Amino acid sequence: MFFITVSRQTGSHGYEITRLLSERLGLEVITHDLVRNTWLPEVANSHELRMLAESPSFYLNEFGTGINFAEYIKARLTEVVEKQSVIILGLGAQLIFADHPNALHVRIIASDAVRISRILQVHRLEKQDAERFLELSDRKHKRYINTLYGKDWSDPGLYHITLNTDNLGIDEAVSLLAYIAGTKKAAIAHPVRQDDIAETKPRSFKHSSEEEFSKILDMYNIAWEYEPRTFPIEWDAEGSLTKAFTPDFYLPYFDTYIEITTMEQKYVTEKKKKVRLLKELYPGTNINIVFKNDFHALLKRFRPREGAEGE
Amino acid sequence: MSETGIGKILFSEEDIQRRVAEMGRQISADYQDKYPVIVSILKGSLYFVADLTRQLTIPLNIDFLSIGVYPGVTSKTGIVRITKDLDISVTGRHVLMVEDVIGTGLTLGYICQHLESSRPASLKICTLLDNPADRLLSISVDYCGFTQPDVFIIGYGMDYQEEYRNLPYIAELVGDPLKR
Repeated sequence: MFFITVSRQTGSHGYEITRLLSERLGLEVITHDLVRNTWLPEVANSHELRMLAESPSFYLNEFGTGINFAEYIKARLTEVVEKQSVIILGLGAQLIFADHPNALHVRIIASDAVRISRILQVHRLEKQDAERFLELSDRKHKRYINTLYGKDWSDPGLYHITLNTDNLGIDEAVSLLAYIAGTKKAAIAHPVRQDDIAETKPRSFKHSSEEEFSKILDMYNIAWEYEPRTFPIEWDAEGSLTKAFTPDFYLPYFDTYIEITTMEQKYVTEKKKKVRLLKELYPGTNINIVFKNDFHALLKRFRPREGAEGE
Repeated sequence: MSETGIGKILFSEEDIQRRVAEMGRQISADYQDKYPVIVSILKGSLYFVADLTRQLTIPLNIDFLSIGVYPGVTSKTGIVRITKDLDISVTGRHVLMVEDVIGTGLTLGYICQHLESSRPASLKICTLLDNPADRLLSISVDYCGFTQPDVFIIGYGMDYQEEYRNLPYIAELVGDPLKR
């Protein structure tokens, strides 16, 4: 199932954004509190719970079943994301599911100055206490990730998107993430078969119009092969081949060959003759020609409009 | 941009209703005892599917499917995606797909691939207008209302920039945007 992981700095509005995003998308949020209050008490005694609250390295301790607490959390999270779409706040989920195809990894940050001003407002602290509060909070997050996964929490490479909320409102951030989540969810439900496309893509096309046409086929997720077959169409009196025809594209799903011709009329006549001969010599072969005007009409028609109907 | 507007009426309300009734009789006969799922491709087939299904005398289900073009990451052309999928499972069911117009067949091809992945018992295609001269993919159309004239058409569900869908007839668009 599609799921989102959110890593946020204290004072970045990350919690508020996550909460509103969960309401907008109708997704449950898995938080550190849930893990600490519900999941861990199922396997840890009170002493272990206290140690887990104090020391990230304690997560690497094994308990009764031979796995450690970090592995236990990973197993529980994996179980959840297989069954339902959720948002996971913190917990190192961006690393647990680093290469998971259904995950969207989000990081929410703000500058120190902005975060301190927000902390001052919310917690009514003195400035130096707010600075200390942030420093400890950042260090705690950083140490948790570094101890359990050996990675730098602030590495932007761990995330698909990083939002800086210095000048980005909570509603704007929620809308942005909801849009990305919708796009990602649609992509998971109906993946473009990139492998299929990559397998059949040639290194280079003979003509730019062929490349353009291949993009239109990709747009419709229609598998194609470039010049996969040459048809002999004319022989001399001694039986030696004098003319052959290699259509530009073959669309295996539709068993159709496509020939693109954006040339001048005198060459078009020759192409038409080749297609006629091909049809005569190889009955049942489906082949269509895209002429110059049709090709330009196609390009014009399929210029993308977001959310527009396809044809 | 030059102004567009409603041009010559190509198929009147009466023409359409008469042809839709004929198609309805044929489809009712072909799908006797098959309990088909009628899949309407939004938004263009809106009025056609409403009128057609009211001419059908067999038990059936109706569902809707919509596709959209999203900007591509690696291509200027974008990527076609399902924006509204079927609510009804079509696995093992007889599916009749209803389109407003079929031209190149690229959209149709995309949808056929999508529907066939659900393994329906059968998949047939019904279109109000067909333009076989434009066809790029070899897909057979099972039920066709009219052959489309080589002009930009509007009305009876078909639009130009989301306008004119509610016309009860099919007309030529004055100021054809594809010919400009």
